[in-house]
Amino acid sequence: MAWNEPGGGKNNNQDPWGSGGGNNDKNNGNRGGKQGPPDLDEALKKLQDSLNGLFGGKKGSSNNGGGNNRSGGGAGIPKAVWMIGGLVIIAFWLFSAVYTVDEQEQAIVLRFGEYHRTVEPGLHLYFPPIEKKFQRNVTQVRSYRQQGQMLTEDENIVEVPVAIQYRISNLENFVLKVEDPETSLRHATESALRHVVGSTSMHQVLTEGREQMGVETTERLQRYLDTYNTGITVVQVNIESAQAPAEVQDAFDDVIRAREDEVRERNQAESYANGVIPEARGQAQRLLEEANGYRDEVIARADGEAQRFNQLYVQYEMSPEVLRERMYIETLQDVMSSTSKILVSGGDGNNNLLYLPLDKLMQQGGGGSSSSSSSARTDSTTSDAQSRMPVQIQQRDLRSRESR
Amino acid sequence: MSNKTIFGLIIALILVVVGWNSFFVVSQIERGIVLQFGKVVKDDVQPGLHFKLPFIQEHRLFDGRLLTLDSATQRYLTLEKKALMVDSYAKWRIANVERFYTATSGMRSIAEERLSRQLESGLRNEVARRTLNEVVSGERDQLMADITSTLDTSARRELGIEVLDVRVKAIDLPSEVNRSVFERMSSEREREAREHRAKGRELAEGIRADADRQQRVILAEAFREAEQIRGDGDAQSAAIYSEAYNKDPEFYSFYRSLQAYRESFSSKSDILVLDPESEFFRYLQGNGVR
Repeated sequence: MAWNEPGGGKNNNQDPWGSGGGNNDKNNGNRGGKQGPPDLDEALKKLQDSLNGLFGGKKGSSNNGGGNNRSGGGAGIPKAVWMIGGLVIIAFWLFSAVYTVDEQEQAIVLRFGEYHRTVEPGLHLYFPPIEKKFQRNVTQVRSYRQQGQMLTEDENIVEVPVAIQYRISNLENFVLKVEDPETSLRHATESALRHVVGSTSMHQVLTEGREQMGVETTERLQRYLDTYNTGITVVQVNIESAQAPAEVQDAFDDVIRAREDEVRERNQAESYANGVIPEARGQAQRLLEEANGYRDEVIARADGEAQRFNQLYVQYEMSPEVLRERMYIETLQDVMSSTSKILVSGGDGNNNLLYLPLDKLMQQGGGGSSSSSSSARTDSTTSDAQSRMPVQIQQRDLRSRESR
Repeated sequence: MSNKTIFGLIIALILVVVGWNSFFVVSQIERGIVLQFGKVVKDDVQPGLHFKLPFIQEHRLFDGRLLTLDSATQRYLTLEKKALMVDSYAKWRIANVERFYTATSGMRSIAEERLSRQLESGLRNEVARRTLNEVVSGERDQLMADITSTLDTSARRELGIEVLDVRVKAIDLPSEVNRSVFERMSSEREREAREHRAKGRELAEGIRADADRQQRVILAEAFREAEQIRGDGDAQSAAIYSEAYNKDPEFYSFYRSLQAYRESFSSKSDILVLDPESEFFRYLQGNGVR
């Protein structure tokens, strides 16, 4: 580091000494300047004699460094010792006096307590103890959060968490103008935020009003900070999700649930409607189709029957008698052949008491033998005897007719 | 060591002490005064290195920055006698160093105590002139400006202090009132929730009823149309029948009757009890000659 710099360091620090002495109108008696009174110089030398080796205060040591350049060394102490001591002191002093200001930083330097200069990034030198420096990062965005319960305009209580981002924009003000600027920032934030929340309705605070509130709070907070000269710039005020206090959170949640219930009820009803109405339309369709089917059916039947009749009628007109006879006989033949029959010769009323065991006949399942031996009847369980029964009756009837 | 050296050392020591006592530094963040036997001879010393007469004059330094008076939360009554808990702070700094020194002997605690008493009474007066709503929402800025200016005037006069700003950090209701506020908030939410649920049911009922109505209407209209169609079919078929059968009604009835016989006597379980004398059996008797 500075091991190869003592020579340069000496030149370096002689120059400022000169200028330092020149800058001050006052006569710095306790400083080894060229204008210093000789008796004082003498006295200092004596002082060094006694203090050699004990470099206590920096004040003393820097004086020694200053004084030593011109002094020829004290009595009884070898020059070399003075030299080495002086060099060590100068090195120490340099070590503390040279400082770097980072790219993100600024430093301010006070000389004799008075604001002297603001230092931009780079390698710099200052002169403790007559100068003091404050060095802070001025580009870094710092942030903190706070939260609390506060009153809204409509006298409700809400819980509002807020995150503040800020940076030190004016180091001079930050350091010199306000006691504890960051506490001031916290106070001001609280005040500004509550002011804004206090003039907003709860609904706004909890819902869409947050962004607007953030903007208003930022503006108000910055105004306070500028009034106080804190040297702080607010980058952003971010009002995070404000919510109702825990004591009433349940009720608020219930409102949300209620909204969902509302939607659910409506959806259920709509799904019911969506089920019922198409079903009804389907039923309606069925009714119409059935009706259409019926209409087409009856018309077709009518058509068919009418045409059949018409065709028959054409024949009828040609030979009515024969056709009638034939139709009659055919019909009766059909009827007779498919039913059970009992012939009862009525005669001239002499046969006025005739007992027919109709119930018996019925019990036989109406099993009459048809002249057409239809074997298509699968359910026929009738025996031959049974099936011949009406026939026997017939025969008997016929015999009785013959005997008569 | 020779006497001369010792003597020189003593002289040097004395000189150092004297020098030490004849200079003082006022920092940029401080305000200073110089006193001579307790009387202020130099007021408002600027920052920098200064000279004074050693052992005769002494200097006093005070914090010259903007200071914060953070007052405790206090209970105030509004115009309608509602209680409010107000937590406020004031930003102040020394305006007149001499007056500040004489009024408070330079003790910050004394200054703050007196300031906070004034602040409190100022707040009390201003809050008592306003309703709760005005204090909480509308008029905060005006309220604060009023208090600041009155406090500033009196503090300058009495304490040599300027009050730059007074702000309310928090205005809250007392805790016992808080509880009732929470109850009110809860009940308002409950009302809203009930409203939502009821509205949902109302809507649902409406939708259902409407669906039912539509269903009935659809079916009834379909029934009407269906009946019309059926009637139409009946009418058309009737027309067809009558057109055909009107050619010879007598023959039609004969023809139709035969059909009916055929239809009605079609099963074995029908038993016909017949008279052989009937027309049908006329050829059954005799020899086939009429």
